[in-house]
Amino acid sequence: MKKSIAALSAILILGLLLSACSSGSSDSSAPSGGASESASSPSAASAASPSSSPSASPSDVIPASDLSKLPGAAQQRTDTIIVALTDPSGAFTPYFHQSGYDGNVSSLLYTPLVTVDDKGVPIPALAESWDVSPDNLTYTFHLRKDLKFSDGSPVTADDVAFTWTILHDKAYDGDSLVSTLGVKGGEAYKEGKAASIEGIKVIDPLTVSVTLEKPNAAALLTLGSDVLSKAYYGKDYKFGQLDYIKKLHEKPVGTGPYKLEKFIPGQEVRFVANEYYYKGKPKTEHFLYKTSEGDTWQFLETGEIDFASFSATQENIDKLKSLGFVNILPYTPSTYGYLQVNLEHEAFKDKKVRQAIAYGLDRQSIYVDANQGAGAVANIPSSPISWAYTEEGINPYKYDPDKAKALLDEAGWTVGKDGIREKDGKQLTIHYLGTKKKDTDIFIAVAKENFEALGIKFEPEVFADFNSLVSKVEGGDYDLVSFSTPLLTDPSDGLLQFVDGEIKGYDNPKFKELFDQGLATNDIEARKNIYKQIFQLLNDELPVIFTSYKKTVYAYNGRIENLSVSPFNGISPSLPDWSLK
Amino acid sequence: MSAFLTKRLLYTVVILLAASLLIFSLYAWTPGDFISGNIKLTPERKAELREIYGLNKPVLERYATWMKHAFHGDLGYSLAQQKPVLTLFNEYIWNSFLLAAVSTFFTWLIAVVIGVVAAYKQYSWFDTLVMVVIFGAMSLPSFFIGLFLIKILAVDWKLLPPGGMLTTGSNATGIAYFREVVRHMTLPVVVMTLLGIGSLTRYIRGNLIDVLKQDYIRTARAKGLKERKVLFKHALRNALLPAITLVGFELPSLFGGSLIIEKIFNWPGIGQLYMQSFGLRDYPLLMGFTVLIAILTVIGTLLSDILYRVADPRVRLQ
Repeated sequence: MKKSIAALSAILILGLLLSACSSGSSDSSAPSGGASESASSPSAASAASPSSSPSASPSDVIPASDLSKLPGAAQQRTDTIIVALTDPSGAFTPYFHQSGYDGNVSSLLYTPLVTVDDKGVPIPALAESWDVSPDNLTYTFHLRKDLKFSDGSPVTADDVAFTWTILHDKAYDGDSLVSTLGVKGGEAYKEGKAASIEGIKVIDPLTVSVTLEKPNAAALLTLGSDVLSKAYYGKDYKFGQLDYIKKLHEKPVGTGPYKLEKFIPGQEVRFVANEYYYKGKPKTEHFLYKTSEGDTWQFLETGEIDFASFSATQENIDKLKSLGFVNILPYTPSTYGYLQVNLEHEAFKDKKVRQAIAYGLDRQSIYVDANQGAGAVANIPSSPISWAYTEEGINPYKYDPDKAKALLDEAGWTVGKDGIREKDGKQLTIHYLGTKKKDTDIFIAVAKENFEALGIKFEPEVFADFNSLVSKVEGGDYDLVSFSTPLLTDPSDGLLQFVDGEIKGYDNPKFKELFDQGLATNDIEARKNIYKQIFQLLNDELPVIFTSYKKTVYAYNGRIENLSVSPFNGISPSLPDWSLK
Repeated sequence: MSAFLTKRLLYTVVILLAASLLIFSLYAWTPGDFISGNIKLTPERKAELREIYGLNKPVLERYATWMKHAFHGDLGYSLAQQKPVLTLFNEYIWNSFLLAAVSTFFTWLIAVVIGVVAAYKQYSWFDTLVMVVIFGAMSLPSFFIGLFLIKILAVDWKLLPPGGMLTTGSNATGIAYFREVVRHMTLPVVVMTLLGIGSLTRYIRGNLIDVLKQDYIRTARAKGLKERKVLFKHALRNALLPAITLVGFELPSLFGGSLIIEKIFNWPGIGQLYMQSFGLRDYPLLMGFTVLIAILTVIGTLLSDILYRVADPRVRLQ
């Protein structure tokens, strides 16, 4: 019996150790769906099509100084390009993967109907053109002629309709937003009351239309995404039963520039050029994603990979320059960082208090200087690369502790005996949550000083992983928490959190009205104007405190020509043109 | 013996049941679930997905469902990887096993040799030197020594590959494949061996010194046996007895993977996969893996009990 007890305790200890190790490790959070950390890889968005004007124009590139330093391993490759990717899991069917890294893989295997240029403006891809009805409710997509899947079968309107239909299945567990657009009859299908979706109509083999119940300008890109072959992915489809698709994840049939050749879990994803690609076969025959959980420096230095991304710190840039054989391409991902404020707590319901935090927090030091320039201060919920971005009428909230103090005084928070501000006998405290990583350490160090100067008690709490932090936030036990958005395409993407109930306690009818207006039209100039008003409104109200934009650099082997990176779609648009000198 | 085995197996089942319930609850109670980390989802959709995955049900009910499937040999699908958990194990565990098995072999081989010599020549210059070096190796952090070796041997001198298990894009088969893997595993195996060797050498040295002082060693020497025979047949065999316990505990670690080493050397092992899954709260995979380790631990202890009996006739199993 003694032995058994020993064994049992061994298991217990083991279990505890396992969980302890896990929670003890740093930067462990790689949230599914490409959350904050996924910006360190090429874009996780799901689209691929060449764009006319690369945003990172060639003039921004720091060219390689000495190509003769190129390692032998890279020199020997003549028809293969290798890019580092953190960790693809093998679920390569678009709409069905859970990890942003699988999204990177599927963006090379599939082409969407509609993609975006480098400002985020929709441009044709598999769909030659599209019409929107005057009431902005019906979208009609016209497919290009002679499109083929990678198995040689034709792409038709039926495939498009099938794709939209299965995304409405009640068993669908991915994160596509198609079923939330309010397609006519979509709800009835989901509930099993209808055999097909009323609003989706196949007009002829190259034309398909969809009718919504309510206008939504973001629908064009949401609907205009990748196309799944009905013959291949729909063969075994029965309503409410999508498990069979899991078996097809590693045998994708797509429309992208590359086909999957081989997936070696934890090691590599190998691609070969797709001869059926609608823009012609890509210039480089082989492409490879190499899995690299840890550091990618060693692989770039030894020539085992051709392309990797790094945070744009001066230290990294200097080190990359010293390698000599890489071109360096600066890049701003289409995300923004923010501090979510608990608007359900009495103190933060007051706009003045939130503005005081924005003024009183030295964001320049935290996000730009401490990061060696690998960031920029944000003041609106949009990335500077978006077509909707503006600085007109936007308050930059320059660091100004005196103004912050004045605002707090105005709000009725007066300095009490021990130097902490009080109101109605309650002290002003900020309970801050962050995940364990370097950025959080910097934030806490600076913010503690800043807040103390304002007379605010600062209580930071650091979490080992992202999920536990989120669950604490969901429980409402916080005042301030650091977040970053996923990659945003349409300007409304970055605003969704203020209307869908994610940010609790923000209820402004004016904002909701503007938000709906922004989605009710497809005219870009009109939308620009609406979003300007929205940004000005949010910049003043600060339902969250906007903090920063990330800056990264891509370093790639100087032999690669025609390389550009789209801020919204990553490398996939330009990849078919990459060639080796 | 058979009565012993029956009893032990019965205990084993009970232990595993209790352990699995405990592990399941611990995972379920860890704050956050698989859905909460996905910041792309709206609160509505999150609720819908929790319904689809059954995450909104009580823990006991979820456990019962899991257990029912597990009894049918079905550990479910990984939520994040969208693949059956068993398939994932098969894809990753053998890579970890390869590293662990080879480095364990070298660890034991080197530790026994050094331990015996050091004990036999206790307090000699060799003993002192070996102990200093071994303590040094033991106290190095694995990430440091790993990165240091990569920098020197792979990046600067280009003698060995910097990581991974295969040369990127390689199509090698047969002997060429074998060679490639050996080249890639050299560095991680060296680091793992360096780190593991210290404690085991101390252990063997200590035991052997104790045994060498025993009366039966004096007797063996007195009756004129050759020193080598005394050392290896009489002394070492007795000194290694307690080490059998360690063998049992090695079993789970052979399959458990090594998080830090796998990460530094970009080795496609289960340790990395487990770590990610924990960050994501990929319950089926976490559960499957932890229970597998629990089973191996129990089997390991059972195995070492039986080995004791084989090695030492004085031990009776009841």
